[in-house]
Parts: sequence; C-alpha cells; structure tokens
Amino acid sequence: MNRMDSSDKFDAGLNRKLDQVFAEYRAAFPDPDASAAFMPGLWQRIESRRSANMNVFRRLAQVCVGATLALTVIMGAFLIPHFEKLPVYSASYVDVLEADHPNTYVDILAGDIK
Amino acid sequence: MLVDFELIERARSGDGSAFNQVVQAYRKRILGTIARLISRSEDVEDVGQEVFLRLYDSLDQLRTAEVFEPWLYRLTVNAAYDYLRRQRRRQESRMSDLTEQQVMLADAAAGGKKSVEEQRRTKVRELVESLLSKVSEEDRILLTMKEVEGLSLKELEKIYGVNENALKVRLFRARQRVLKAFEAEGGDLTQLDPE
Repeated sequence: MNRMDSSDKFDAGLNRKLDQVFAEYRAAFPDPDASAAFMPGLWQRIESRRSANMNVFRRLAQVCVGATLALTVIMGAFLIPHFEKLPVYSASYVDVLEADHPNTYVDILAGDIK
Repeated sequence: MLVDFELIERARSGDGSAFNQVVQAYRKRILGTIARLISRSEDVEDVGQEVFLRLYDSLDQLRTAEVFEPWLYRLTVNAAYDYLRRQRRRQESRMSDLTEQQVMLADAAAGGKKSVEEQRRTKVRELVESLLSKVSEEDRILLTMKEVEGLSLKELEKIYGVNENALKVRLFRARQRVLKAFEAEGGDLTQLDPE
C-alpha cells in the first residue's frame, strides 16, 4: 500500500514537473513579430504559384491545340483521297443519272416512250 | 475571433486587401504556434508563409466564416507536420555524414557565448525536443497543441475532426511515453540550470 502511495506521489510529481517544463518551453518561445519581408515574401509565393498554375494551363492548351491540328492534317491526308475515289465526286450529274436509270434515259432520248 | 466574418467573406471572394488584413491579424499568433511546434526559429517565417499560402489557395473551400480559426489551425498543423517530416529525413542524412566528435564540437561552439537566461532557454528547448522526439510527428504536434498551446479538447476536436474520446486516448498515450522519457532523463528540473 505504502509502495503504491509513494509510486503515485512520484508520478504526480513527475507530471507536475513535466507541466512545468512545458510551461517554460511556452515562455521560451513568445509569439514572434513577423519581419518586414514577411508580406512581400508571401505575395511573391502566391504570385509564383499562380503563374506556375497558369503555365500548366497554357501548356495544356498548347498540347490540345497541337493535337487538334495534327488530327486535322492526318484526317485530311487520309480521308480526302478516299472521298475523291467515290464515283459521286468524280462523275457528272448526267453520268450518275444514267448509271441509275440506263434504259429510261436512252428511251427518252430516242423518243420511244409512249 | 481576431477579425470579423465580413472580412473573411471578402477575402474569400478574392479581395486581396481583405486577405492582407486577415494575415496581419493572425500572423503573430500563427508564427508563435509554429515556433513552438517546430522549435526552430530560423524556419518559422518560411513555414508561416506556407500556412498563409495554403490558406489563400483553400479559402474558397471554407464552408462558413465561423469555422475559420479551426481551419487555419488545421493548415498550421499540416504545414508543421510536413516540415517536421522533411526535417527528420534531412537530419538523418546530415547526421550520418558527421562524426560524433564533430557534432559535439558544433554543439559546444553554439553554446559558447550565451547569457544565463539564453542557456536555460536552450536547455528547455533541447529537453522538450528530446522528449518529443520519442513520439511520432503527429503525436508531437497534438501534444504541443494541448500542453504548450493550451488548446482545449473541444478546440482540438474541431481542428482534427476526430471525436474527443479518441483524442483523449491518443493524448494520454503520447503523454505517458513522454513521461517515461522524462523519467529516463532524470525527471529533474535542476538539469535545466545553467552551469
């Protein structure tokens, strides 16, 4: 019992001393005044962060524009020759009509339609 | 609150001069907290600027002006935590480069020309630094906020977003570890007296 009492007392004493150390530590570091360079330094960091973000967006926009241009050129290079080969683009209106209704066309010209 | 809600609302909506006023109102208190959290006065302003930079970036995420202070403290805690982690890594690599003798010589040179008061302050700082090094960075910050900054459990609950009981358990364990370390170092305040 006595041993427990003395151990409790020791713990309480130790706790009290630790509180005292923390209190002294608090007093050893009073709230400091900021230097004159604090606010300009802060705004400089804000501005540099902002411009870094802008650069990222600018980069992203450049990449998007570049990719769009490249895609347009590639599509042009492959699709234009492909479309040019289709008869609808290489023949005249009369040729297409003739291909669709060969007999009627000839009959009309010959005046054989009754 | 050191500023009124209207000023915070203005800063939130992008008013630079309102933001300046908010920083000027809180910077002394925040720099003090940082100084005691990191116990390195030469880096306090740098970490302080980081806190206010994060505040500037995240002001639009603030739900209401009422939660401004816990929010600012949370940013402070996070910035101090990041700093301490970086510092521990840097220190490990730096110390491994120095021999024990070099470290002792550097310590002796640093302590050479100090007044009695300064010597005691340095000893208190070293003791607390050594005691807090026995717990993780998270617990170190939590313990400092409670024991040194004097924040209540209710305030810590708002800052950490964790319920009071969980905080109590964590604080108790951290304090027990620190007490053990204090006991191992003699548990005596006379060690703080200058030679």
